[in-house]
Amino acid sequence: MSDPAEVHALDPESFEERVHSFQFWFEAVQGYLVDREYGHRPELPEPELTESERDRLVTVLCNYCVGETAALDGASGLIAVAPNRLTKIFLSTQVVDEGRHLEVFRHRLLALGVEHPEDEIERRASPRLREFRRKLEALVAERDWDAAIFAQNVILEAMEFSTFQMHAGYADPITREVLIGIIKDERRHIGFGENELGRRLKHHPTLRERLQRVRQELDPLVLATLEEALGELQVPRAEREDLGRSYLAAVERLGVRG
Amino acid sequence: MSAEIAKLPTEPARRKYELFDDTGFDEVPKKYRKFYRRWGGEGDPLAPNEVLCPVCKIVIRSNRELRPGDRVYCMACMARLRVAEGPDGALVGLVEY
Repeated sequence: MSDPAEVHALDPESFEERVHSFQFWFEAVQGYLVDREYGHRPELPEPELTESERDRLVTVLCNYCVGETAALDGASGLIAVAPNRLTKIFLSTQVVDEGRHLEVFRHRLLALGVEHPEDEIERRASPRLREFRRKLEALVAERDWDAAIFAQNVILEAMEFSTFQMHAGYADPITREVLIGIIKDERRHIGFGENELGRRLKHHPTLRERLQRVRQELDPLVLATLEEALGELQVPRAEREDLGRSYLAAVERLGVRG
Repeated sequence: MSAEIAKLPTEPARRKYELFDDTGFDEVPKKYRKFYRRWGGEGDPLAPNEVLCPVCKIVIRSNRELRPGDRVYCMACMARLRVAEGPDGALVGLVEY
């Protein structure tokens, strides 16, 4: 008798049903969040940072908060536009993830001594990231499912995924743990975006041209924002070349040229 | 007719693998964790029952040796993959939408 949990023996429909469920989400996040408080083990001591290191980290976290707020608003707005039950339910789990990300980054700002995080976010947010957020909001308001999922779950999420991974390699232990927990959530979000668009492109190949235009408009904003973040983190220039690798691989698999 | 069938090449038996939830991978529900592990980068070779997910870079494991044409799933990023032979002869996972 085969193992009841033999995942590769599932038929595609059963797999889709299972991984897009709240039950799957709940059992997955339990594995890596159960003993965390605001994204990290509570016993980890606060690191000693120089004033300059602290200031740069605050700027980066403020911009992460803008990105997470954009994703939170985007994912929640898209639930009403989602074409079927599975995409609606998956997006509802993504909304919970994005809300958590915003909360843990904001809490990290408080722990670093930022008394009024919202004011600091307003003061330090990258203009390019704000512009990206406005454009994403417009796509959601237009109920443009394909373009909004592309902007949010492929462009924004893949770029965040790469940046958080790179940042985790240089971060203090608390920030690192917070980032690692978020990266685990992001895997689901980028996979959802690529798979959803891959399926739609298969049936509507003309959609590819429109996504190319969206990419041309948004790529420079996100790339410049993340370049700024890595500059703040003082990541060596040679290592920044890896930044867009996973994103570029995803758009190449989808056939969406820049 | 039966003589012709007897001449058909048969696929060599696949090696079986017993999987354990012992790699520390914690991103999917507990009952599925043994089917995945983290990838250690270029210096981390894949076993004959493993293939790398190109979307999220998690190693997918099977309880049998993998061969081109097999279907596997990455639960970490929800991708469906078809196993294929890469240019260097190693097995790769191609995303199926």
